[in-house]
Amino acid sequence: MALREPAWRVTARELESSLEEEKGEGDRAASYLLSPFGARMNRVLIAGTLSVAEPLGRDESQPFWRSRFTDSTGAVAVTAGTFQPRAMSQLRSSTAPRPALVVGKVHLYRGRDSVGYVSVRAESIRFVAENEERAALADIVRQTLDRLDLLERIEKDPATQEEALVADGVPRAWVRAARESLRRYPNVDRLAFRRELRNAVRRVAGDSGPAASRGPPPPTVTVTRAPPPKAPAPAPSAAERAEESVFLDQLDEIADVSVDGYADLKELIARVASRGLVADRAEALLNRLEEEGVVEEPIVGKLRRA
Amino acid sequence: MTAEPPAPTLPEVRLKDLRPSVSPVELVARIVSFDRREVTRRSDGSRRPLLSGLLSDGTATVRFTWWDPPREGIERGTVLRAVGAEVGEFRGRPEVTFSWRTRLAPAATAELPRVDPEEIPLRTMKELAPPDDGFRVEVRVLRIAGRTVTVGEERRVVHEGLIADRTGTISLSSWSDFGLTAGEAVRVTGGYVRSFRGRRQLVLDERASVVRIDGSDLPDPAELLRAPPRSVAKVEDDGGGEAVAVEGVVVGLLPPSGLVYRCPVCQRSVRSGICRVHGQVEGQPDLRARIVLDDGTGALTVNAGRADTERLWGVTLEEARRRLRDQPDPSLIEEQILENLFGRRLRVRGVGTKDDFGVTIAPESIEPVEVDLDASAEELAARLGEVR
Repeated sequence: MALREPAWRVTARELESSLEEEKGEGDRAASYLLSPFGARMNRVLIAGTLSVAEPLGRDESQPFWRSRFTDSTGAVAVTAGTFQPRAMSQLRSSTAPRPALVVGKVHLYRGRDSVGYVSVRAESIRFVAENEERAALADIVRQTLDRLDLLERIEKDPATQEEALVADGVPRAWVRAARESLRRYPNVDRLAFRRELRNAVRRVAGDSGPAASRGPPPPTVTVTRAPPPKAPAPAPSAAERAEESVFLDQLDEIADVSVDGYADLKELIARVASRGLVADRAEALLNRLEEEGVVEEPIVGKLRRA
Repeated sequence: MTAEPPAPTLPEVRLKDLRPSVSPVELVARIVSFDRREVTRRSDGSRRPLLSGLLSDGTATVRFTWWDPPREGIERGTVLRAVGAEVGEFRGRPEVTFSWRTRLAPAATAELPRVDPEEIPLRTMKELAPPDDGFRVEVRVLRIAGRTVTVGEERRVVHEGLIADRTGTISLSSWSDFGLTAGEAVRVTGGYVRSFRGRRQLVLDERASVVRIDGSDLPDPAELLRAPPRSVAKVEDDGGGEAVAVEGVVVGLLPPSGLVYRCPVCQRSVRSGICRVHGQVEGQPDLRARIVLDDGTGALTVNAGRADTERLWGVTLEEARRRLRDQPDPSLIEEQILENLFGRRLRVRGVGTKDDFGVTIAPESIEPVEVDLDASAEELAARLGEVR
């Protein structure tokens, strides 16, 4: 029985903090992103401000747009492509940051340095009046608090029966999500997260929108977004330096002539290969340059200077 | 019970005591419903008539099959005495067969067993499941209304409504007029439960009996019909319900939504000018929205009809048709409805049924919800209050 996935009410901060995935098995199985705060998300509903979208990719037959979404707790990317025509046309039409409701599917992208980035592939977007955004945010904060309370209840008494929770009006799916969250994120500072939710409550009460706010709060949630730091690599040899300059020159050349300002990874690998840098070496070099913060890959297969 | 004199031994068994057995039994029962059919013998291809339907004696209802029945003289309501009936079993329930060995004769209504309501087991709404019968219920009538339907060639009035006790609410369909009125409390015996369009339904006909009772322990109708919204997850868990209330946000529309065409005879939707039942017809335009409503715990479908769609969207059917003439793309109508409804908060009451695709609500009311922002902010701040 394939029931429609509910749209979990979450804040941007909760999305940013989510790093654990649950891949569905079998035919057409849904996969889920698990948050540290009791959400097991396939689809989400978020309310905040959408910035002016930018087109990504250079294949004009496959347009893809991305916008930065912020609420009072954090920021995530909202994207839409040709498979989300309605959402895409909404993104394209926007000329200034505006309050919006977004329903979409969550995606976790892990860069080659295994840092996770969460984005929302929008199914529907609606630009709304500010009080509609605040009403939706109230719903989001309320359900987030409900989930936090549930996590604490289960943590306090792990033997709590599902039926007892269901009898108290807790959805079965939430019980499952809560248990999984506790298992996968054993050391999360939920108190810090609660503190961050205060900004969202201020927004519900009518404080200025996130666009005009003092900027995002300091990330106090102790979820590591990057793997632990490695020992510093030995200084590159002269030969490596030479390879590096070939690599970066080619990257700049491709980026200069590309429509979107990015260098296509495949094209780059092909070019440096013709200059004697084999694919394996080029990959290793790219990894190092990304780690050093020289080059970044904001979209899979698209590079630019950091 | 031991103090009572032993009941006089009757030759016939009561239907509620019927058990599958090899030895034939004698019984007296009323024909509740029947169909005539013919089956083709495999051996020689000859056709053999049979009559099958439901028998009841007030204690239970059982299916029966009558091989080579008389051509005339059998009607709904006919009381029969059968000597030498065979009792078999079908899907775990006893079933009676009248064959050439069975002697059948008309009987008087007075010959039916006398039933004391107290000996029929009392059931709650929660317990009832198709194809239960031979029970009594004590319920509150929440609503009731007559409707004329055509059954075969016959026009009949069916009284439809909702009944409830403390454990739940189910729908009622009475083919006989018991003078039921909304709000009254009744004891009902002789009904049976069937599943109709995914809903459990208590069915009553002439053989049922209805007695008014005090009903002080039965719920107040207003309380049930005005119940506060529940979570979609709860409604899914309950498998729908007769008086469901939910509150959520519109996150999508399911096809077919927007401008649709319906058969003028049966109201079914018409595809390429062809009705599934009535063939080539002139489709009548109609407006509808199959709303996906999501409250964060689950999602369900709300089938909004023309009036609700026009009111929520703010565009009439005529205006929608005019727009379609300007831009002849029906999907635009659906797009425009979604653009207007997406993200809006609605409270919906109605009948919820569940199938493989989840819960669908046939709405009685759809109301936009205004959120009190100040109260919400205060409530949330209080919940966060203990955090320093």
